[in-house]
Amino acid sequence: MAAAETLAGARSGRGARIELSEGSFAYLLNLPAILAIVLLVAYPIADAFWLSLHRYNLRRPEAYAFVGLQNYLDVFTNDQFLASLGVTLFFTFWSTVGVLVLALGMALVANEHIPQRPLLRALILLPWAMSGVVTALMWKWIFNPNAGALNGILHSLGLIGNYRSWLMSPDTSYLAIVTANVWNTLPFSALVLLAGLQAIPSELYDAAKVDRASIWPRFRHVTLPWLSQPILIVLIVQALGGIRIFDIIYLLTGGGPGYQTTTLGFAAYVTSFITTDIGRGNAWSYTVAILTLLIAIFYMKLLYGRGDIRT
Amino acid sequence: MAAATSVRRRGFGSTLRYGVPWRGLLIHGASIVFILWIVLPFGWLVLTSLMTEAESLSVPPHWIPDYITFDNYIAFVDPTILGNQQLAGGGAAQGAARAMLNSTIVALSVAILNMIIGSLAGYAFARLHFRGSALLLMTYLATRMVPALAIMVSLYLIFQTFALLDTLFALILSYLTFTVPYSVWIMASYFRTIPRDLEDAARVDRCNWINMMLRVFLPVASPGLVACGMFAFMSSWGEFLYALLFTSTLNSRTMPIVIASFVTDVTASPTLMSAGGVLAVLLPLGLALIFQRLIVSGITAGAVKG
Repeated sequence: MAAAETLAGARSGRGARIELSEGSFAYLLNLPAILAIVLLVAYPIADAFWLSLHRYNLRRPEAYAFVGLQNYLDVFTNDQFLASLGVTLFFTFWSTVGVLVLALGMALVANEHIPQRPLLRALILLPWAMSGVVTALMWKWIFNPNAGALNGILHSLGLIGNYRSWLMSPDTSYLAIVTANVWNTLPFSALVLLAGLQAIPSELYDAAKVDRASIWPRFRHVTLPWLSQPILIVLIVQALGGIRIFDIIYLLTGGGPGYQTTTLGFAAYVTSFITTDIGRGNAWSYTVAILTLLIAIFYMKLLYGRGDIRT
Repeated sequence: MAAATSVRRRGFGSTLRYGVPWRGLLIHGASIVFILWIVLPFGWLVLTSLMTEAESLSVPPHWIPDYITFDNYIAFVDPTILGNQQLAGGGAAQGAARAMLNSTIVALSVAILNMIIGSLAGYAFARLHFRGSALLLMTYLATRMVPALAIMVSLYLIFQTFALLDTLFALILSYLTFTVPYSVWIMASYFRTIPRDLEDAARVDRCNWINMMLRVFLPVASPGLVACGMFAFMSSWGEFLYALLFTSTLNSRTMPIVIASFVTDVTASPTLMSAGGVLAVLLPLGLALIFQRLIVSGITAGAVKG
């Protein structure tokens, strides 16, 4: 109610006599954000769906026609669809698992009182500050088939006999894109988990110590329950990022070798902008959007439950 | 496993008090592995950027340059230093200075717009009671999750219609799509932590609302504003997909596109490419280190920016 008084005070000041109810004032303040969202997100997403119901190729604009769900049927019955759905889910799954395990380890270590703690905490921000493009550039150079560091290290350790082209062979190209993505997205998750660890009251640990609980039961019964929400956030944010992955694929493998690393997002880009098939490209994109939506609903329920969304 | 057993023994009977400190070893060992995991890849990029091209291509790789050169960095300012090699990376180095300027203009504009839009909407959520506020906040959050892929074609067609393709303005507009929802979120939660007494004091002084915001409220909320601006700046600085689609010439090309043209061009020199990568990361890295605390609290408060 103090807000209403403030408003009244604001209105009485210096001749500003526009009578605004609290509600209208709130929406006036939200107007720029709402405009940006409606014009730049809501309209485009509706438009994208509308376009996905049409035959529309930029090279043959005269053939524009309403075709209903034909584009979706074409996409879903395309052999490549199942393959790239598989690649996307595979990529998302292993990135998420990799990040969760490493981030948990990193957070546990960064939460200990060791001399290198400030260094580790500052270093965590390095991959976070690095964009996907620079990350891809760095790993592309590491995986370089001729003068790359990975070949150099493994060869000098005697682990590989010959230099290999990591990004060009089907089995290792997966591993390469997952590694680059895990490296890039790890800091965010590590910081979320670290904050979760720091929120655990130390009395709980003291109690566990009094009970002479050893390290695993302590982790299992004290740490993990407190971390369940941060872990869920990590899983969801990773999944959202994995499903829409684009820049690392585009730069590291270009979807290759063959279609081995072509994700849904990369296929959407190629269909829309290389083969300029806007209608079908949007059908690809919408598939990504729907997968995202499923995860997003779950995420919002979680945040709502946590009390982040207050009225 | 080993650590667990050891601590269990110590915990139960303290019989092995002077045994091997497995837990400490494990923690120190893991911390070193994590530090190397972060430092080694980037360190190699930095080292490569200081090598001559011939040395960077040597097999097996040289880890430490025999001869340190800054030519790869100077080339971004003065491409003539490269001589006949200027075409490496599609002449990317030549455009780098302009691209850096473009990136800075775009990222700064996006940051400033977000600070304005975010604090207006954030104030409404933090201080005013209005119908549909929870729904509106949910809508913002939902928009944050709309994948760029789903709206890229449509945005492209809009920008084409308004002849905005290949302009910085198109990039600024498209970057608002993923920054504004987060900014509203972060400002709303920051403003909630500010005591109401402040505004009550301002009311006594008969300031109007805008004056109250500018003179009293926002100065107190400046850490939140800085965090909001910085997140917007950093996510715009490195954005790739929209920049790839909406830019075609140096008129609007940003740093990620220049970097990408090094990566996709097989003839690009690795040293020049590495120097480009290091240059592109300097600014965000500097910001991240300066505002370390803000970032950590921002990430954990919102947990929205992935």
